Amino acid sequence: MESAHGEVLQGTLDLMVLKTLEVMGPLHGYAIAQRIQQVSKDLLKLNQGTLYPALLRLEQRGWVRSKFGVSENNRKARYYSLTAAGRRQIKTEAARWERMAGVITGMLAGTKGA
Amino acid sequence: MHQWRVSFSRAWGFLQKRRLDDQLQEELQAHLDQLAEENIRRGMSREDARAAALCEFGGVEQTKEIYRQQRGLPFLDVALQDLRFALRGLVKRPGFTIAVVLTLMLGIGATTAVFSVVDRILFRSLPYPHDDRLISFGLLAPIERDEFMLGAGYIDFRKEPGPFEAITSMAPGTTDCDITEQNPVRLNCAQVEQTFLPTFGTEPLLGRNFTAEEDRKDAPLVALLSYGLWKSRYGGNPEVLRKTISLDGRTAQIIGVLPARFEMPTLRPADILIPQALDEAQQRKSAPGAVLRTFARLKPGVDVRQATAALQPWFELAVSGAPQQFRKEIHLSVRTLRERQSSDARLASRILLGSVFAVLLVACTNVANLLLARATVRERELAVRAALGASRGRLARQSLTESLLLGLLGGAAGCGLAIVLIRVFVSIAPEGIPRLQQAGLDVRVGAFTLLVTLAAALLFGVAPARYKPSTEIMMGKEQVGARRGGSLRQTLVVAEIAISIVLLASAGPLLRSLWKLQNAPTGMETENVLTEQISLGSYNYKEAAQQFAFFADLEARLRRFPGVVSLALSDSIPPAGQMRSTILAAVEVAGKPALAEGTGGPVGWRAVTPDYFRALAIPIIAGRGFREEDRLPAENPIILGDALARELFPGESAVGKQLRLFKTPDGPWRTVVGVASNVKNDGLATNGDPEFYLPWKNDPLINLRAGYVIVRTRMNSKSAASWMRSETGSLDPTLPVTIETMNQRVGKLTERPRFNAMLLCLFAGIAVVLAAVGIYGVIGFLVVERTREIGVRLALGATPQSILKMVMSSAARCTIGGAILGLLGAWFCTRMLESLLFEVRAHDPVMFGLAILALVAVALCAAWVPARRAMCVDPMIALRYE
Repeated sequence: MESAHGEVLQGTLDLMVLKTLEVMGPLHGYAIAQRIQQVSKDLLKLNQGTLYPALLRLEQRGWVRSKFGVSENNRKARYYSLTAAGRRQIKTEAARWERMAGVITGMLAGTKGA
Repeated sequence: MHQWRVSFSRAWGFLQKRRLDDQLQEELQAHLDQLAEENIRRGMSREDARAAALCEFGGVEQTKEIYRQQRGLPFLDVALQDLRFALRGLVKRPGFTIAVVLTLMLGIGATTAVFSVVDRILFRSLPYPHDDRLISFGLLAPIERDEFMLGAGYIDFRKEPGPFEAITSMAPGTTDCDITEQNPVRLNCAQVEQTFLPTFGTEPLLGRNFTAEEDRKDAPLVALLSYGLWKSRYGGNPEVLRKTISLDGRTAQIIGVLPARFEMPTLRPADILIPQALDEAQQRKSAPGAVLRTFARLKPGVDVRQATAALQPWFELAVSGAPQQFRKEIHLSVRTLRERQSSDARLASRILLGSVFAVLLVACTNVANLLLARATVRERELAVRAALGASRGRLARQSLTESLLLGLLGGAAGCGLAIVLIRVFVSIAPEGIPRLQQAGLDVRVGAFTLLVTLAAALLFGVAPARYKPSTEIMMGKEQVGARRGGSLRQTLVVAEIAISIVLLASAGPLLRSLWKLQNAPTGMETENVLTEQISLGSYNYKEAAQQFAFFADLEARLRRFPGVVSLALSDSIPPAGQMRSTILAAVEVAGKPALAEGTGGPVGWRAVTPDYFRALAIPIIAGRGFREEDRLPAENPIILGDALARELFPGESAVGKQLRLFKTPDGPWRTVVGVASNVKNDGLATNGDPEFYLPWKNDPLINLRAGYVIVRTRMNSKSAASWMRSETGSLDPTLPVTIETMNQRVGKLTERPRFNAMLLCLFAGIAVVLAAVGIYGVIGFLVVERTREIGVRLALGATPQSILKMVMSSAARCTIGGAILGLLGAWFCTRMLESLLFEVRAHDPVMFGLAILALVAVALCAAWVPARRAMCVDPMIALRYE
């Protein structure tokens, strides 16, 4: 991923996917991508392809499970849903994210003051 | 926790590759379709919608690639890919593959076979727990080959065992004992102390060891059976512990069975262990007492040197008890059990192992050469792959995979060869190589082979793996890489030649020494002579008179046969050793002072019937041989061997002189009636001890329980042997009998040197052939590589002879370099052979010269073929080449 504006930061995609699944319930890949675009109000330029390796990673770690089902327009689709471990992971990830954001905010404020 | 899940999932992904790939494809396609539909809904045309969808999605193939790498086991994927590619390459070039696999098979097969034999001698632990702490110790004196202790001395020593955790003793060797119940059998019984099994850390498989009470004189006899005897005679029945066994007429209670892997520390076969029952009072009374073999287990952390030092005071005390004149010739000996068991096989084992590794090295060098040559041929392919983005590591990995595959193929073939070779070794090997019968391919040897194979693959795989293709080749600069590989290949050939010369120069002296040994005079004529070895059971032939009567009967029966030229009895036969012996100091000469200092060395003797000298054609050089009347009880004649006669009566005739033997002050004076010429008494390499002969008669001095019949016959040996066997059987059908021709007996003595020389020659031969193939390959390749250059030279007026000279000179450079290195190596290596040689020096300039000459000739012949080809290059064809 190039570090252009609006690029998704390394590691944040996982949290976004998990959170999306928490809020929306089971979804297929395309819907997850659309939801993330929509929530970010198109500020984020998500390379939608990167979503799939991320989903695989989450599944391998046991935070997400997948199941084949039929989508709203009658296509075979793979639905991803959150596991209990995934729910717990959101809490840890969110806490870490907030800590990080706090640090960065503090830094920025400090720099301005100096 | 995560790690496990991830690994598991990855392994699953690796196995389900195809199905998961399809699923991914479907999923991504669905995503793209939905994106496109969305775009169409926004009003784009179908094509634009699809293009925009692809754009939004980012690279589909990249996504798949990342996804796959994350899903499966990319490392294994690549390895499989490499393997498939390597296999395809090998199948496509069957000639190359077969050459490499055969070469490796020779190297690895020979190495494995030799290792499986010497492993038991040099490395593998003995079948006792903590075998490194087991030692054999005692005194060494001229008359005994192995260390020993005397009864009374041992009884004192065992009260304070010094540096040892435990000590034990046994009667030397094993004795014949007969099971005297239904199905009488002759067995080997070993008499051991009660501490014997505990010291060696061995527990009986069934039952128990004998107690200290049972190890006393007059205690009821008990016996431990060997596993083999238990299986064969009792069918492995555990009820055997309630049974008794009748040994030489005594009833013994069976109290235990030894484990299958148990073996005597002396490596002699033993079917039954019985208590030694050392009688302290008797040992003290009849000092010096019985000869005992003594073994000990060192305390943890004590090594042999420390133990030797700790034993020094005891040794000095023990020696002070010996007669003053002998003290100088007694030494203390402490050695590990392994050393005792394999004393003379160790050096030969090391040399064989070293030489077979040298062969393996040559084989690896050859394979490296072949691979390098192939890498040069494939340079264009490699350059293309490098240009397409293969990293150097990736290419090296591919190349190593190929080497590994070749190595494993060669290793597998080598295992097959090793199985055959081990069979051959076991069938042709001489007696006395410890544990040879057990040699075989087992897990340990297999692991060794695998290790050797991997090491070999690494060894010959590194050179081609390091090969860096230059992309310049694609621009037509062809010779850059080839030249560089060429010098490395020549270095490898130099190494091959050097190793071959070392092997040749080592095999030469061994062969020459073998030849000398086989032609060494034994002092007798061995053609048309048959020997029959008989050992009477002590139970059936208890009295000396019975024993004497048996041999007298046998002699009379055999003499009746018409084919017999002469027939004799003797208690031992030259040149195999094992004759009875005394010391020179115990021979008293009438009218001369006794020997002042020392034992004078051992003197051998044998009891013979009058025809002995005729039967073996040993010339009587002074006086006469024995006559029938010499066997009367009143007669006391003696015949001296030439060496002994010269030693006792220097410068005068021995005939008519009087001697008294064995330090017996009231013994009879014996008259020297003749002097026989010398015979070899202890193998062919040494002259052996000087000897004298006494007449075979009914005399308590001469124990007649065991003896040899010697028959010189006009018949063919097979029918004579079967007739001797049947005559003996008609006297006593239970008697075990060994019949051999004298030539077989003598031949046995050269078996070991022959075995060593043969193997070393075989290895040297293999190395030379491989070196020849190596030099042929390198020069041949050089010619192919330089075809265009040669064409240009010829076109510009070079004569074919000068081309020949050019090619041959590069072969000569390799050969001369190899010869110089090889000579240096041989100089160092052959020194180790010194003690295996007989009348041949290790640094034999003739042998060195021959080795070099042979190799140079082979190398130049091998180079001649491609050089001829170079000479015949047609410049027109060469210049159009490529």
